[in-house]
Amino acid sequence: MTNQNFEGMSVRWVIALKAEAEEIIKNYALERVATKPFQVYKNRDIDIWLVLSGIGQINAVAATTYLYVKSDASDNTIWMNLGIVGSRNFKVGELVQIDKITSNDFPDNHYPSPATFKNNNVERSNLITVNKPEALFENDGVYDMEGYAFFSFAKKIASYELVSVLKIISDIPGTDISKIDKIAVERLVLKKMPLIEKVLENLLSLQEILLLQQRNPNYFDEICQQRKFSFSQKVTLKKYLTQWQSRFPMRNPLSEIEKKMTTSQILKRFSDNLLR
Amino acid sequence: MVDTIYAEDEIIGTKKAQEIISKFRHAKVISIKRFGEVFNPSNQNFRIQKINPALILARKQKGFVLNAPEGFGIRDQDNYYFSHMYNCLYDCSYCFLQGMYNSANYLVFVNFDDYKNEIEKIIGKDKEKEMTFFTGYDCDSLAMEPITNFLSDFIPFFRRYKNALFEIRTKSINNTVFRKHDALTNCIVAYSLMPETLAQTLDKKAPSVSARIKNIKYIANKGWRIGLRFDPLIYCNNWKAQYSELFANIFKEIKEESIHSVSLGSLRFPKSFFNKLLQYYPNSEEFSFLRSNDKGIISYDQSIENEMNEYCRLELMKYSDARKFFSCG
Repeated sequence: MTNQNFEGMSVRWVIALKAEAEEIIKNYALERVATKPFQVYKNRDIDIWLVLSGIGQINAVAATTYLYVKSDASDNTIWMNLGIVGSRNFKVGELVQIDKITSNDFPDNHYPSPATFKNNNVERSNLITVNKPEALFENDGVYDMEGYAFFSFAKKIASYELVSVLKIISDIPGTDISKIDKIAVERLVLKKMPLIEKVLENLLSLQEILLLQQRNPNYFDEICQQRKFSFSQKVTLKKYLTQWQSRFPMRNPLSEIEKKMTTSQILKRFSDNLLR
Repeated sequence: MVDTIYAEDEIIGTKKAQEIISKFRHAKVISIKRFGEVFNPSNQNFRIQKINPALILARKQKGFVLNAPEGFGIRDQDNYYFSHMYNCLYDCSYCFLQGMYNSANYLVFVNFDDYKNEIEKIIGKDKEKEMTFFTGYDCDSLAMEPITNFLSDFIPFFRRYKNALFEIRTKSINNTVFRKHDALTNCIVAYSLMPETLAQTLDKKAPSVSARIKNIKYIANKGWRIGLRFDPLIYCNNWKAQYSELFANIFKEIKEESIHSVSLGSLRFPKSFFNKLLQYYPNSEEFSFLRSNDKGIISYDQSIENEMNEYCRLELMKYSDARKFFSCG
């Protein structure tokens, strides 16, 4: 369980199959909260959710969309896709973090942010998303059936740096796929939990930076409750209060506001003070 | 330093790209079609990317040399700038790049010859006309020299065109290239400077001002011509004393005859850039004095700007010929 809890911490997992998700569900103490159209799990106290998408790109996008709406995820939510994959150039059991995502169906490629790779010592790989299970593995990299669609959508609903794709190698050329059962998959994930946690910890530290950047300045909410500012006035107010707290850290801006002042007069008062 | 290199398929096999890639033995090289795939996506966060910037190697397709923005050149001559690189090794709080780009990754255009061809065309139009070519607007060329060898390539190039002045804007104290090459009379090594205490807060990852001054002295003694760039001038408590001390420290070390030009510039941003900067640096006292004017530009109040320019000009006149001064912006 992550010990990096902070206000605004928010994580979403998109995983195709229950066997791949089992250890994540246990590790983050997730409880099932929906069964249709997708099974959804969440932690009771922390904003961590998981959806079982099923196999394939359409399912991946649909499930990500569903979870996005159902869990009321913000722009600053971390989105993780985890699953098993095949590869000709990695060994079974290896965990890889994806740095390039291609699909034969689409011309555009995706490149998860290098910020997500920092200091985690996880192997990196390109990902090729295909529509049918792959056995030939003609190119180096790892093959899955969801990653491209997941990333294409997740990068639209979250900060680019907070979207990550993790894969564990389950099969290589010659693997008898019928022997990759539920227990084998759960074991593969369990063995890599410390590294998965490490990747998540890095993402959480990035999330914390983003949240700090977007925090409202002191007294902003209180002042907005007192008067009805227009949208553009709120932008100006936010700017003035940000400047105020660095310039006059010992002066409470609320004391500048008189009873009958209009919103424009309040902004002018702040502006005049900051000009001095 | 760099653990990921993105390289366009079109240039990955070129000599320049391979030369750069070979300097990062442990970096993973990822092939891309066009640099925009990595550099342009929206939703990227400049500050987060600055934690671990990647290097992008690409081919510039067009717009190799551009007219310098009005008010940013030297006097009335034709002023041009060109950028073989976007983004900087340093992390200065007031840098406009973080407002301009979504990405903090270092983007290097490796087709230097295309820049040279374009410069030659411009020079060829009027071989007698004096003109200036600036580099260092969108990056610090000198700081990245160990990686790009850009100056090692362009200094010999400009040696052939004496009517073309080549300005290298920098904060770097890397002086290898100035030791390797004989001083070039039509080259200005232009140093951005501000009072030391301000630089300690604002010029993150850049060499200290005292180290810059020491390096200027060294380069000047090798015969290189020096530009002093006090751009932007930063308003703060006690600014007069701080700038006076800075000027005195510089001219204690540097002979006036080494100085090609001195420029003063005000701190200003387009509104959208400034809103991003405030978000990135909410506790910056230096930014708390800035205001929006009626043209949508964020700057100091006109009276502050005038006072700073006037004061600094007068102070600098104690040490240097006023004919060498010009304003930026």
